[in-house]
Amino acid sequence: MRQAGAYSKLVSGGRSGPHALPLARIKKIMKNSSEEVKMISGEAPIVFSKACELFIEELTKRAWAMTLQGKRRTMQREDVASAVITTDLFDFLITLVSDSVPAQESLPVLEP
Amino acid sequence: MEPMDIVGRTKEDASLPKATMTKIIKEMLPPDVRVARDAQDLLIECCVEFINLISSESNEVCNREEKRTIAPEHVLKALEVLGFGEYIEEVYAAYEQHRHETMDTMRSGKWSNGAEMTEEEALAEQQRMFAEARARMNGGGSAPKQSDAEAQPSSNS
Repeated sequence: MRQAGAYSKLVSGGRSGPHALPLARIKKIMKNSSEEVKMISGEAPIVFSKACELFIEELTKRAWAMTLQGKRRTMQREDVASAVITTDLFDFLITLVSDSVPAQESLPVLEP
Repeated sequence: MEPMDIVGRTKEDASLPKATMTKIIKEMLPPDVRVARDAQDLLIECCVEFINLISSESNEVCNREEKRTIAPEHVLKALEVLGFGEYIEEVYAAYEQHRHETMDTMRSGKWSNGAEMTEEEALAEQQRMFAEARARMNGGGSAPKQSDAEAQPSSNS
């Protein structure tokens, strides 16, 4: 369950360290995302920080599954790309990873 | 000719700190696993893209409700809309925990916001916001009152 951390507000069960993403940096990225981004409440970056953690966790673990499939112990860029391709939820990342796709998994519809 | 902006103040340069990200990533994996540097870089890029995606949608949600400030409820709704509904429960719990810790700080007088709510008022306010957020997450169609613009430190630097 949740640990009451003395450090960041985002210590969650199952993690050994209380590392959290810097809120100011998140806020900066949020503002960059759109020309007309409104004011951002003080608490919104906190919500983002946790969501990012969950997102990284999911992507990392899926990439790791690809690494294991390849019988390796070092995660490579192509593992991340494969994880993106095989997960519908991560479709928004396909363009970002399209140059790292391992040959056997290239989608025919990918734009060059 | 524009000078190279090595300090990274340009709009495109906002990214997440590598050291923190590396630690987070490594913690999620078995201890003997290694992550190639370019794989780490790609993970970080994906995360930034994730923030962009959710930000844009949060902005939309906020617009639709004709609010001026992107609030946590808007972000939660955005997550749901974009298919990340599974995250909502944990995200909301983290938000609640932060709210509790914030309330503690307020009680100790560090956050004097001029309104000087009593503890009962602060707790009532907190419960009201939770209820609103829950109602929103449960698909409530009514727009909640703009509740936290005054009480919370809202900055737009």
